[in-house]
Amino acid sequence: MTDTAVPKRRKTSDAADAPSVAPETAPDRTPHPAPRAKDVPRTMKELRIARQGKRKPPPKQDDNPLREGLRLERVPDPSCLVLFGATGDLAHRKVIPALYQLWRTNLLPHDFVVLAIGRRAYDDDTLRAEFHDSLEKYSRVLPLDDAAWRSFSARIRYQKLDFDNVADYDKLTTVLDAIDKEQNSRGNHLYYLATQPSAFAEIVGQLGRVGLDHERHEGGWRRIVIEKPFGHDLNSAIRLNREVGKVFRESQVYRIDHYLGKETVRNLLVFRFGNGIFEPIWNRRHIDHIQITVAETIGVENRGAFYEETGASRDFLQNHLLQLLSLVAMEPPATFDADALRDEKVKVIRAIGEMTTDQIRSDVIRGQYGPGWVAAKPVKGYRQEPQVDPESETETYIAARFEVDDWRWSGVPFYLRTGKRLPKRATEIAIQFKEVPHRLFRESGTDPDPNLLAIRIQPDEGIMLRFGAKVPGLGIDVRSVTMDFTYGSAFTVDSPDAYETLILDALLGDASLFTRADEVEGAWARVTPIIDSWMDEGPPEFPNYESGTWGPDEADELLGREGRKWRRI
Amino acid sequence: MAANLTTGGAIVDAPIRLNEPVLRWRSRAHSIEEVEQELSRIWSQVNLESDVDADGDHVNERHVGARTSVMNLVVIAARQEVGERCAATIQRLVGRHPSRTTIVQPADPDGPSWLDAQIVAHCIMPRADAPETCAETIHLTCGGESGRHLDAIVAPLLIHDLPVTVWWPDEPSFGSAPVNDLLVMADRLIVDGSGWHGTGLTQLRRMAAAANRLPLAISDFAMVRQSRWREAIAAIFDIPDFLPYLRHIRRIAVTYGVRDEFGAETTNIVKPLYHAAWLASRLGMEVTRPLAPMTSGAGRKPPVRGAGGRLTTLANPSAGLGAALRLDRSDVAIVIRPVLSAMPSGTTLRVELLADWRGSELRADVTAEQEAVHVRVWQDGVHALERGFNAPRRTDVDLLAEAIEAGGRDPVASGTLALAAELAGGPFP
Repeated sequence: MTDTAVPKRRKTSDAADAPSVAPETAPDRTPHPAPRAKDVPRTMKELRIARQGKRKPPPKQDDNPLREGLRLERVPDPSCLVLFGATGDLAHRKVIPALYQLWRTNLLPHDFVVLAIGRRAYDDDTLRAEFHDSLEKYSRVLPLDDAAWRSFSARIRYQKLDFDNVADYDKLTTVLDAIDKEQNSRGNHLYYLATQPSAFAEIVGQLGRVGLDHERHEGGWRRIVIEKPFGHDLNSAIRLNREVGKVFRESQVYRIDHYLGKETVRNLLVFRFGNGIFEPIWNRRHIDHIQITVAETIGVENRGAFYEETGASRDFLQNHLLQLLSLVAMEPPATFDADALRDEKVKVIRAIGEMTTDQIRSDVIRGQYGPGWVAAKPVKGYRQEPQVDPESETETYIAARFEVDDWRWSGVPFYLRTGKRLPKRATEIAIQFKEVPHRLFRESGTDPDPNLLAIRIQPDEGIMLRFGAKVPGLGIDVRSVTMDFTYGSAFTVDSPDAYETLILDALLGDASLFTRADEVEGAWARVTPIIDSWMDEGPPEFPNYESGTWGPDEADELLGREGRKWRRI
Repeated sequence: MAANLTTGGAIVDAPIRLNEPVLRWRSRAHSIEEVEQELSRIWSQVNLESDVDADGDHVNERHVGARTSVMNLVVIAARQEVGERCAATIQRLVGRHPSRTTIVQPADPDGPSWLDAQIVAHCIMPRADAPETCAETIHLTCGGESGRHLDAIVAPLLIHDLPVTVWWPDEPSFGSAPVNDLLVMADRLIVDGSGWHGTGLTQLRRMAAAANRLPLAISDFAMVRQSRWREAIAAIFDIPDFLPYLRHIRRIAVTYGVRDEFGAETTNIVKPLYHAAWLASRLGMEVTRPLAPMTSGAGRKPPVRGAGGRLTTLANPSAGLGAALRLDRSDVAIVIRPVLSAMPSGTTLRVELLADWRGSELRADVTAEQEAVHVRVWQDGVHALERGFNAPRRTDVDLLAEAIEAGGRDPVASGTLALAAELAGGPFP
């Protein structure tokens, strides 16, 4: 069709709407043929009728008026959770206790099946007995509720599968089809990869090969939960994302960082965006710096071989610490849906500049623990731990200074630290406010400390605000006092375990607390240059901190050179 | 080792049990002023402390009690045993919703005025390394004239700035001055409409009138108990293929149990009525003809009413009650009918929905079976969905906790109550 085919009236109208002279920069291209007049709705009435005639998108659950105001948590659709690595430590310690607890509290659908997948030859009863023993150890609510366990365990089945055996996946398809029919799980499958990371790509590929990724037209959904570590550097993360992306759409992928499921971490969002008084001062004008600490008293325990390949930077910095940073620094999302939330977190990660080699030398401190005393007990140094190279160069401590280069945070340092064999187990975020601009109470014997807001994530979850108060008496003496909110005394009910929250969210299709591919890659893009830089350096002088101390002296100097110090926890 | 229950003070050697409320204070008073003094005594001590472990042995470590209150809970109990049952329920919630609880029991209304108060504090320790959380309960028995001025008794004992929840486990005489005066100061009223006498509809209409008159949130256990049913019914229309039928429901039938064939006239039908009222209010239906006894003509006769609007004669009790509503431009029939059942009278046994959209019919059948609610759906006669929801029996502790946790005035609950009252003949003026 050409311009000449357009009726005259239409042409006139176009001419009236168009600029009289084409702009000089207009690209030299063949004009698009104008649509026929009868295809172009013109009046409001025509537009309305045309819109009504269009096929409407399928209604969403949000459109269901009966959902409004239901106070109970929505129960997930009937489904089958396919647990890969069911005989492993993670399944026994975390996944099964979380599922049992969800079942006990009626948060799982009545038509629910756990298909436990493992490489060992088991039968259903043997596995159930092992799960029961694990629950006796790891369930957060004891004693076990026998009736709840009986009904839950009846829904557990075992299926032997070698991850790289093609025929086993064909068999899995048959088993799942049978479960969907017999147990009424309607083709809704949640694949949970609680396996070694090296098996992720293989399992995902095989699921794709046998078509178990395909969501059904009649509503059967397919989702996959992948445990951390998601890659071991930027390239491997990109590769793994690509492998997963060949089979599953991003909306089907749920990457777990269990820190995000912790009650206090979720409360951080409520604290920031559910209260009016903090957000106006949550910026460079009022905040001097931010410290995020994840301290552990334990060593590597029986994970020496694993830790040798990861170290503190991969084990904690790339995921937990950067996730906490992004939650503290993010802008308020427009809505509380998964992508709005994750969009804002990604912006923060991207605003952290990639460090140069010089910056890494000055702003990143690594350490490794030597022998010492923790909790009044002598402990070994890292190099004496089982499965650890006696000359290991793996870091068990990392402290780093980051800057989030955006309008809100420009010039505010974020100090992050994590380490093993520190004196105390504690995870907290400390917001250090600026000093008052004018010292009014000069005669006070003590300088009040600047205000500090500490958000304790574990243990003793709570929020503490430090401020100055007058000491009772005739003079004006100002001292720092704290106003302390402890979760345990305000709400003495147990918080759900992070895995309960996250598994339920995955079954409900809510990805808010899961990390997206671009978040993972963004975090690796900040951490990989640090690891690469260390590879180019000479061997470090490890061990450089004693067990039971707060890390190497250089970590104190990192803050000290700017007139600051780590908060005493 | 037994606790040393002294009168008039702290009980320091009560053994500690994790997650179990432990009595830490007991004293008596005979006037409101004395009660206030006792409350001051409890909390003017730096802490309630215990130095006894779970075995009752004295230990060096002292557990410090921290006072916490998130609301004032006022219970009006007609009888002592009701008050005791409520106190036991509330104790189970000390950890979850620590409150100052005042249990008021009017007694001997024609005798002289007197007041007897027992003040107790219970503490609960969630973890071995955590402080104890303590909350106080005041048991007040008021004789004579003082029992008719509930507001005057309760007001001085309220912790300021905290919300006031009134739990009325018996049957409040809505509309009477003492009840009105008390409800004026309350933020929330908790009742159990399924325990009211007769069909319960007269009280329901009076309660709806109170809800219209006062800025009061109302939680009815009869409604709270049905949350799993509502979840099950809502889940049907989460399925995109079924959602369009929702606005084309033509009939809602609720079946409830009665013990014998004569029970239909006197059985409390608040619970079954709430099912229909919830659906109707969520879908914006309007009542065109309130509930009336159904005859073979399926409820086409106007309701027959006696004094006070009570439904009096049922032409055929087993046929149940019928009402008509309007949704958009279509009529919707409501049927509430009894069947003989071994279940407690008034228990909902089945909710049936019939919808008709573009010549296609959807029929949904929701039933209670043991500890589950089952949903079955047929589309044009073809079985299209079967799903179960766990629905274990809920204790008073669960119900009270859920009622308390509903912050503010729940528009779904108030909409349901208003429509239930309309179906029953409209709120009393």
